[in-house]
Amino acid sequence: MSALIRNLGVRIASAGLASKHVLPSVSALSHRLSSTAAADAKKPEKPTVRKPDAVARTHLSDFGRYVAECLPKYVQKVQLTAGDELEVLIAPEGVVPVLQFLKDHHQAQFTNLVDIAGMDVPCRENRFEVIYNLLSLRFNARIRVKTYTDELTPLDSACEVHKAANWYEREIWDMYGVFFANHPDLRRILTDYGFEGHPQRRDFPLSGYVELRYDDEKKRVVCEPLELAQEFRKFDLAAPWEQFPNFRNANPPAEVVQPATPPKK
Amino acid sequence: MAGREAIKRAVQQVRPILSVDREEARKRALNLYKAWYRQIPYIVMDYDIPMSVEQCRAKLREEFVKQRHVTDIRVIDMLVIKGQMELKESVEIWKQKGHIMRYWKESQDPKPTDFLSKFIQGV
Amino acid sequence: MAKILKASTGLTGLAVSTNPHHTLCALYGKILRAVAKMPQEASYRKYTEQLVKQRADAVAKNKDIVALEKAVGCGQVEELIVQAENELILARKMLGWKPWEKLVQPAPARQWDWPPAQISEPKV
Repeated sequence: MSALIRNLGVRIASAGLASKHVLPSVSALSHRLSSTAAADAKKPEKPTVRKPDAVARTHLSDFGRYVAECLPKYVQKVQLTAGDELEVLIAPEGVVPVLQFLKDHHQAQFTNLVDIAGMDVPCRENRFEVIYNLLSLRFNARIRVKTYTDELTPLDSACEVHKAANWYEREIWDMYGVFFANHPDLRRILTDYGFEGHPQRRDFPLSGYVELRYDDEKKRVVCEPLELAQEFRKFDLAAPWEQFPNFRNANPPAEVVQPATPPKK
Repeated sequence: MAGREAIKRAVQQVRPILSVDREEARKRALNLYKAWYRQIPYIVMDYDIPMSVEQCRAKLREEFVKQRHVTDIRVIDMLVIKGQMELKESVEIWKQKGHIMRYWKESQDPKPTDFLSKFIQGV
Repeated sequence: MAKILKASTGLTGLAVSTNPHHTLCALYGKILRAVAKMPQEASYRKYTEQLVKQRADAVAKNKDIVALEKAVGCGQVEELIVQAENELILARKMLGWKPWEKLVQPAPARQWDWPPAQISEPKV
């Protein structure tokens, strides 16, 4: 064992030596190149912004087209967001078929449900978005399936496709109040018993509606409506400066993947 | 124009939550009421709350009457679903005494209505 | 009696298959029969038929299991069997869902617009 370690140490030392030898010559070369051809001097790349891989992007958009072609009844739109994240936007009727297709089809095999997220945009007609993140271990790929609903329209539960959906859907029910039809055990998961309202909705106040305190006379916790002084109710969130000027022209938020045009005969 | 919009909204085809017509929604609400009514003696006994069965039943009726103006079938369904969940939480003793006593709001003073008491409370 | 090739697949809950060629042929036949009930122009049918036929060919050509796994290139034979089982379930469910029909419901206007701050609602 010690011999091995020593051996490794020697190899590292020699590697360091080699790099020490090589480095000056390389830098000298590049220096000379830059002095002769200043026009094609390399721009300093920003290491913080990851560039999406062009090959991966074509693969993803091809797969998105493939899904849209196989399930034209449900897929409304396919897009790439943040450069290389594939999103399939579907009609709410198609949750189970699309997830089942992505899980069981030979070419997809998205067998792992990573997460289900909710989103609330009150100005929309269907204010809630439900977002399924899937992972295919076989092809080392991820996909995002998005659908929409409103306060009173039930969505089909994905529990029959993915067992993992059970708790995630309970979370969304608890936080947003989206009802999942055919869920085996839909009840609260994060909030306390007796809690009213759905705290992740945008119209739910940050402080909540009630406050709890221990009552000494009654020897138990009592619940009282919260009274906020009026001046604290207004929150000015707009800042006079731009928050992320470096990202003004970063990746576009979403690029639509156009459906494949059928070959003309 | 607004009228046409309203009519369109009224006849909009929507997916039902549970019930397909008013009669079914009514039945669900009544079933929920009955289930609560029957469970109240056990709830009073299990949680050891300082309320009688009659007081609890009056409270139950009050909570249902509070929602009597609701006519949308889907809203009724949603309320029934939430009531059902609450009943289960109460019967399985997942709640605690404080949660049950929350229905009476006994630590809250009623809002003042006449001028003088408003003035005194500084509202 | 096929020669036992390996003691384990190395994957939890996945037993070594004794006669994978037979199982795979049967499953691929079932998938093709299920898919044949779909309309001719359905893309799902086209692609699945193409892929399953390819795999069935590989199964017929390669009698050796290792050669078969290499030819298909999608994991061990046991995994191929699981994939085929899944596809069969999916194909049968697809017959009920009929996903080749036209879009059930187009997205409401501005539903997928992002960021939502740019959405300007018409004044009512």
